[in-house]
Amino acid sequence: MKKMKKKFLLYLGVCLLIMACNPQGAEYYEDLDLVYTNYDDSFEFANQRTYSIPNQIVKVTGNLAEGEDPQFVQEPYRTEMLEKIKSNMTNLGWEEVVNPADADLVLLPAVWTNTTIYYWYDYWCWYYPFYCGYGWSYPVVTAQTSGTLVMTLITDGENSIDPIRVWTAAANGLLSGAFNTNRVTKAIDQAFEQSPYLDVN
Amino acid sequence: MKKIITVVVLMVLSSTQNVFSQQDGSQHEGAQQEDYWSVQYGMSFGTGDLNDYISEPSFRGALIEYRKAIKGNLLVGLDIGWNVFYEKKDFDTYTSGTVTVSGVQYRSQNLIPIMISADYFFKTNTTFKPYVGFGIGTIYTERNTDMGQFRLQQNQWHFALKPELGMLYEVAYKTNIKLAAKYYNGFEADSLEGNQNYFSVSAGVTFGL
Repeated sequence: MKKMKKKFLLYLGVCLLIMACNPQGAEYYEDLDLVYTNYDDSFEFANQRTYSIPNQIVKVTGNLAEGEDPQFVQEPYRTEMLEKIKSNMTNLGWEEVVNPADADLVLLPAVWTNTTIYYWYDYWCWYYPFYCGYGWSYPVVTAQTSGTLVMTLITDGENSIDPIRVWTAAANGLLSGAFNTNRVTKAIDQAFEQSPYLDVN
Repeated sequence: MKKIITVVVLMVLSSTQNVFSQQDGSQHEGAQQEDYWSVQYGMSFGTGDLNDYISEPSFRGALIEYRKAIKGNLLVGLDIGWNVFYEKKDFDTYTSGTVTVSGVQYRSQNLIPIMISADYFFKTNTTFKPYVGFGIGTIYTERNTDMGQFRLQQNQWHFALKPELGMLYEVAYKTNIKLAAKYYNGFEADSLEGNQNYFSVSAGVTFGL
């Protein structure tokens, strides 16, 4: 019997050792930053020269969907992000014009956030109180908020009423609460860097 | 492929059973290698497609084996293992068609080989017992590519073969140290391109029954 117990403990030990060695993944907020771009490969970017961009970055929220007034990104983040977008466009050979009707393309930036809340507690107490206290004695609540910046380049359709999306960039990451724009401006640079087809120089 | 695996496993099991039944009333001539259980730690090195995906070796692995002597030098049994490959790829850019994605990638691949195996011992009546072995069965693969907050998961069963070289070293009554080198060959299947092959070195203990 003792021998069996020893063997069992040995097997259990190995299993626990393996579980303890399971890969852990990301350690820093930056490690979860992601930049996505996609474009319409039938569109001739080389034939375009001008673009327009709003002087605000809209927040996509439920209120907007319900027809309420849009909310915008506040200063100083708005200016930093817009200037970064504009400097990248300039470097690629684009000229900004004020009136979107005069522009070859319109660049529309937007942001949204998404918060997920996780709860964990002795959820079985209602069914079998005998087991209460054998799990998480205190409720565990964690929340994480992710933010996304989307930039879209659109052009007029054939009848000028049907905008066509020719380039989309999305930068996504977890919000850290650090209130600096380093990560988002870095992501903006990356979005343009990985889109060489936008170069009209 | 699943049908082929099922048929092969059933064939091996049924042939094993026949040999077991023939052994009843036994013909033990000379020293016979005893039946045993074994638990082993394993480190592994991917080759081919697995190495292209994760170039880092795996130091997370375990193996449990059972062996039953069916002749003096020949043992058959079952192996169940678990190997975890993992690598963090630095920030990089990946393009597919018109889509480009940049970020840090966390790649992991779990491989669970389940095999019917046979080992032939060159010597059984000495302290040092070298053997060669061969296994046939399946490898279950779970490949996870994590990027940002998103995960691409690919799961696959592979038909698999495993040649093996190893030795037992008797350290106490019915107890041996086991060292083995194996080459797992998981054949290409639907959702994963290329064979999922890896070389594994394991060390552990056997307990005689």
